[in-house]
Amino acid sequence: MLSRVHPLAKLVACIVWLAASILIFSAPFQLAIIASAVAALVLIERRSPLLVLALMVPFALFGFGFLTTSVLFRQESDFALQMAGETPFGREAFSAGVVLFLRAIACGLVSAVFALTTDAGQFIKALMADWRLSPRIGYALFSAMQFVPDLAAEAQQIRLARAMRRGRPPRRIPDPLETASLIVPLLAYAIRRASRAAIAMEARGLDAGISRTVLGAPLLHRRDIAFLGIAFALLPALWWVSRLTP
Amino acid sequence: MTPSRAWTLREILIVAVLGAVFGVLYLGWVQVWLIVQAIFGAVTMDVVMGFWFIVSIIAAAIIRKPGAALLSEVLAALVQVLLGSPAGLMLLVSGLVQGAGAETVFAATRWKNYRLPVLMAAGVVAAIFSFIYTWIRFDYGALAPGLLAAMFVLRCLSGALLGGLAGHLITEALYRTGVLSGLGIDIDRRQGRG
Amino acid sequence: MADAPAARWRDVGVRYPYADAPAVGPASLTVGRGERVLLVGASGSGKSTLLATLTGLIPHTIPAEVTGKVELRGENVATRTPAQWSADVGQMFQNPEQTLCGMTVGDEVAFALENQALPAEEIETRIGWALAQVGLPENWRSRRTMQLSGGEKQLVALAALIAQHTPLLVVDEPTAHLAPAAATHLRRLLLDRPGDAAVLIVDHRVDDLAGLVDRVALIDADGSAVDGGAPRAFFRAHHDRLAALGIAIPPPAALDAALRADGIVLAEAPLTMEDAVAGLEALPPGEKAAAREIASAFATAHQARQSASASTEFVAALENASCAPLFGPTVLRDVSLAVRRGETIAIVGRNGAGKSTLAASLAGLLRLKAGRRTGPMGAISFQNPENQFLAGSVREEVRDAWLAAGTDAAAAGAKVESTLAQWRLSELAAAHPFELSQGQKRRLSLAIITAGGRWPLLVLDEPTAGLDGAGRAALEAEIRSLAAAGHAVALVTHDLDFALASCARTVVVDGGGIAADGPSGAILRDRALLERSGLAAPALLPLLDFLEENRC
Repeated sequence: MLSRVHPLAKLVACIVWLAASILIFSAPFQLAIIASAVAALVLIERRSPLLVLALMVPFALFGFGFLTTSVLFRQESDFALQMAGETPFGREAFSAGVVLFLRAIACGLVSAVFALTTDAGQFIKALMADWRLSPRIGYALFSAMQFVPDLAAEAQQIRLARAMRRGRPPRRIPDPLETASLIVPLLAYAIRRASRAAIAMEARGLDAGISRTVLGAPLLHRRDIAFLGIAFALLPALWWVSRLTP
Repeated sequence: MTPSRAWTLREILIVAVLGAVFGVLYLGWVQVWLIVQAIFGAVTMDVVMGFWFIVSIIAAAIIRKPGAALLSEVLAALVQVLLGSPAGLMLLVSGLVQGAGAETVFAATRWKNYRLPVLMAAGVVAAIFSFIYTWIRFDYGALAPGLLAAMFVLRCLSGALLGGLAGHLITEALYRTGVLSGLGIDIDRRQGRG
Repeated sequence: MADAPAARWRDVGVRYPYADAPAVGPASLTVGRGERVLLVGASGSGKSTLLATLTGLIPHTIPAEVTGKVELRGENVATRTPAQWSADVGQMFQNPEQTLCGMTVGDEVAFALENQALPAEEIETRIGWALAQVGLPENWRSRRTMQLSGGEKQLVALAALIAQHTPLLVVDEPTAHLAPAAATHLRRLLLDRPGDAAVLIVDHRVDDLAGLVDRVALIDADGSAVDGGAPRAFFRAHHDRLAALGIAIPPPAALDAALRADGIVLAEAPLTMEDAVAGLEALPPGEKAAAREIASAFATAHQARQSASASTEFVAALENASCAPLFGPTVLRDVSLAVRRGETIAIVGRNGAGKSTLAASLAGLLRLKAGRRTGPMGAISFQNPENQFLAGSVREEVRDAWLAAGTDAAAAGAKVESTLAQWRLSELAAAHPFELSQGQKRRLSLAIITAGGRWPLLVLDEPTAGLDGAGRAALEAEIRSLAAAGHAVALVTHDLDFALASCARTVVVDGGGIAADGPSGAILRDRALLERSGLAAPALLPLLDFLEENRC
């Protein structure tokens, strides 16, 4: 259902929620955001809870680093507390670390909600139709996307060629050194294709700044305004609720 | 013949594919980084951060027009959004910040100087902008000053080396393949402007 | 202007920046309203350059100096930007499947129409029409282009082209990499259309196109355009010039020339091999016998013979192998194939059948999922030769190859020079490998894999793509000499005439395995087999049938 909300409305809502997460330093609030995002994905979008859990993992790993840093390197002002008998793993350092940890997950999930419920093509089309993104940039993005699978195929070919010189079949996954040596040939390949794609697109009439029809761009409906309203209203509500908990 | 200021479609596409190639590389790099970060803490981010600026350095060195650095970071982030990366939105913001950082250096040199020191400086300033952004996001104000200083220095070094130097090396290697003919870098080199 | 020709070049010359000589011109060429013109020329003669001036891509997008005038329907092209001409000229370039820019099929077909700011309903209608014309189902509109195969993408590109409804269509070397289905659609759509749409096609392989166009024009050695007139007369009148320029001559025309050299003139200049055979049949008996002799010699010259020095020593063998590409699922099962020294094998099959996978597995570059492979590793000359260039200059590449083969640094110098001379690359020794033309890259690739005799088995993956007549002839000769020198050569190709001419043995890949394996002459004449495997019969086939029927 969220998939049918206008992409730009979703973008605005998500950015506001991200800002709120960054500006409000409160563990319960971050938890509230996480809960809302999970509810949106599991209850409204009917995604599997396992998927949501898997999504949280990279952000949790990211956030855990801040937890450890915060605990280990909190400012010396904690010395006073230490002197007073509390351990360095005291409440303040730990709870600050926990907030950062939760914040990382919260931001990640809000971003994930956007990514999972938005069709990329519709998003760019909406940007072109409503926010006057230059069609040259929009279609350059689409065109560049098309290259990505071919990049993989090209990388395999290059690896086979090198394997031939070495006299051994290549391993399945390239090691970091091999990956680094693939960058320049792949970039050269991509740039050459980009040059040819530019000519083809220009020959099909892509000009700068001329008004053009955008077929199938998402339209703004009442439900999108309603969605924005709910998203904006929910934030202060969550904040108020989070202040109730100690 | 100096490159005109207006962007050609070819240049926009080249920046887009640079973003696509590095967007994909970033996705891979991120996995490794996250695991290391969980063990070694937030300092890892500073050590590896430079790689995130590399696309802006390469784009600016190749195209040599105002906005190249900024546009390339934004497009790289958008490509990751298009590829469905869950972190897409945040990458968009961090891309804007990093790209703006690099862009200021090129603006300061009036988009005319792309030698190695300038590229490394662009990496450093991108690191600075990024540092300010993460300061706010991850509450650096509460961390021990010693650690903060170390993180800052590491990030600037990373920006200079993994962003500026590595970007320079890749640009040079690309130039030798001849695919950059007709672009800003080619026009400048043929006219002896380095 | 009402009766102006669709396109006209008046003494147009193009010189690229930093180049000494002009790339083309001065050339004059006219395409009349509703005319279908085929433009031929040797590699590097400037055909694509001339086409690029048509809507002003040169000099507007591709910097170059242009002299002379180019007119579209009487109007000077310089009055508009290239994008502004898109409503009047529809263009399709090489490898159209690599320049897609829509996320879905519908988006792709709509792209050019959106650029013209056509109303949405009109665009929707045209999308439906174009998809139907090309034979794609209506529900493909929302299909993601990234999930399509190469051949399907080509069809979508074709649909996008015709949806533009332009009065002039320009197609640059379409058949080189087109899947057979797309090639058929292209020929039908472009050249069988009623109405007054003009079509200009540039290509090397003219066999299938010659009979479908109204006129043939030629870019000569001095860069000027020669208007040849109707196809039948063209190939007869200009045969010697075409041969001198290294332009591919369709087999029927070559046969006609061979007959005329001996004084036998067919009633009508043939455009297809069926025409030629009909002409031979219609000859009076006295001439017919002599003609049959000549035709027989012709056929023999165009078929590879098993090399006399073919030994029984095996160079590589696959036994009950299951082959899969590097990251993909198994595509071939229970494959057994053995290759001897001095053998030439063609590997043919429809797109996606697994030819390249088989070739790479045979060379030992892909690990087998099952079964085994015996023999030393082989070398591959890839479809995209650039993939194997690692050094910064041609000389360095050849040198690296010799050093890797075990030559010491001191002796390498002389060997490098002789290799360069052998493959006609001496003048390009200092150039970066990426800067070479397609034919030159192919030669460099072959030079690298044959240097030092390191690999007894050589695999060539689609080596004829983009080569003109001279390039193909040279490649044929090179394969022959490599086989004579004791190499085993495996050739992956979808050009069956080339397979017939250069390889004595053919392997057909179909249905997840090897469908047939035997002498080229037998395999490539089995029409039923070819049809089952999705292959088009070689052009020589009707002649071979005729000779078979008329054996004395």
